[in-house]
Amino acid sequence: MNVALCREDGIYHAGGPLQATWQISRVPVEQIQGVEISVMWHTEGKGDEDLHVHHFHRISESQIRRTGLADQQSIQCQLPRTPLSYHGRLIRLQWCIRLRLFMASGKEIVAEQPFYLVAGSRKQCSPLKETKLASPTIQAADDAQPVGEDGHSDVPEGSSTAASRSSAAASES
Amino acid sequence: MSLIPQPWSKKRGKRFLGVALRGVAGEVAFYAGLFMVGVFAFSLVLLTRFAPEKAPDVSTETITSGLATWILGILSLAAIITGATGLVFRLIRLGASNEFRSVLANRAGSIDVITAAEGEPQKLPSVPSARLLTESPGERLAYRLASDTSPAAGFAGPAILTVLWNTVWFVLLAVVVSGFWYQRPRWIMVGLLVPFAGIGIWSFRYFLAQLRKHAGVGSTIVEISDQPLYPGQPIELFVSQSGRLRLKRVQVQLICEEETFFRQGTDVRVERYEAFREVLHKQRDVRVDPQAPWEQQLSLNLPENAMHSFVGSHNAIRWKIVVSGESRPWPSFCRSFPVVVHPRVDPPKPSPR
Repeated sequence: MNVALCREDGIYHAGGPLQATWQISRVPVEQIQGVEISVMWHTEGKGDEDLHVHHFHRISESQIRRTGLADQQSIQCQLPRTPLSYHGRLIRLQWCIRLRLFMASGKEIVAEQPFYLVAGSRKQCSPLKETKLASPTIQAADDAQPVGEDGHSDVPEGSSTAASRSSAAASES
Repeated sequence: MSLIPQPWSKKRGKRFLGVALRGVAGEVAFYAGLFMVGVFAFSLVLLTRFAPEKAPDVSTETITSGLATWILGILSLAAIITGATGLVFRLIRLGASNEFRSVLANRAGSIDVITAAEGEPQKLPSVPSARLLTESPGERLAYRLASDTSPAAGFAGPAILTVLWNTVWFVLLAVVVSGFWYQRPRWIMVGLLVPFAGIGIWSFRYFLAQLRKHAGVGSTIVEISDQPLYPGQPIELFVSQSGRLRLKRVQVQLICEEETFFRQGTDVRVERYEAFREVLHKQRDVRVDPQAPWEQQLSLNLPENAMHSFVGSHNAIRWKIVVSGESRPWPSFCRSFPVVVHPRVDPPKPSPR
């Protein structure tokens, strides 16, 4: 599974457009029951998690059978003006594109590509540059790790930060 | 791995120990069982109440007696409602991802019956509305801020305690007097009257002290030139403290606080952390008279990179103006006035025409 953001540094301005492409490879189509892709934010930290999905797209099993998933798929949306990415002591507010794969065996594979929503001028996207996610491995639920545990500053230093935070987790439904 | 599957799972942070499906199955079984037990008990109550001859094996003496019937009926109804609600709630959550449930909740919440009027600022997601804060006009500046604590909150508790406790004491006194009147004195109650009277006097004095403290410190007024606030924007502030008091020190601060709610066992706990603090004004040895309240005109500048106000279900980032004072003979006071910070906006693009 890989997701490519339209900006290499992963920084998007509030109210601006977001474009990304995603692809699922090396998974037989017959084993996939559905795919959900969400542009969302969630909180991390001491408090219970808050989660809000800004853009959601679900591809059903019949659609997958009909069109397949071999090609690169695209997703685009207009980002909201708030909430902005934030890294505090008790609260971290993280924006991400989350890809959830429902397998026929009942397992789910989740992959996240974080990005940063910041205030400021609205810039257009540069040509797409691919950011590969770590290849997800199907793990037992006991070993599933929470995604995005390492901290980061509000405005990232570079694209490597976004890429290094890419992670995937699998959980048994 | 144990041979016998456990019908529960354990949560460690975001991880589940054991298969999550076991926990779901356990919960479903529990709520279904509760529902069934409720139905059984309720039908038993109905049967013995309205057709006792149809239930010869049941001891009708215990069930059909008034109080027992009511208690059993209420308990069984509570079991039915709890079981059915828990079962439906658990089954709805089955087979749907967190994201999908969030989307459904958003759709339900996005149906606005009253739309924003033209000219009103557009509502920002997860940012508290500044509309309530701008409803009160100020005398010196545009808006008067409302304190987040009610002035009566300080002495409402002692007032209720005093009234209730002393009412009970007078009822007790009436019982004791009636006992003497009918030549059957209740000596235990007579003995209780004295300590109870002591507690009543203490609660009344405590209430008076709280009332004097509130009346002595007086009201705090904070007015602001603009709402909502934007990072980098200069803001005028007017602070006034009335009352009759001598303050050792008075301080006006701008504070940004992170607030999180989390569950610990069955408790819901809250934790706060001051992420930003700026002392706007500090003054020593201040004298306040009813004719001459302490007044200050201040200015503040929010940092350029300030985070906007944010409110989620379990997390929040709040900005507030805090006025605190150390006074004699009254205890120290601290009053906070919430403000709303919006993210920085771009200047409008010049029209091509």
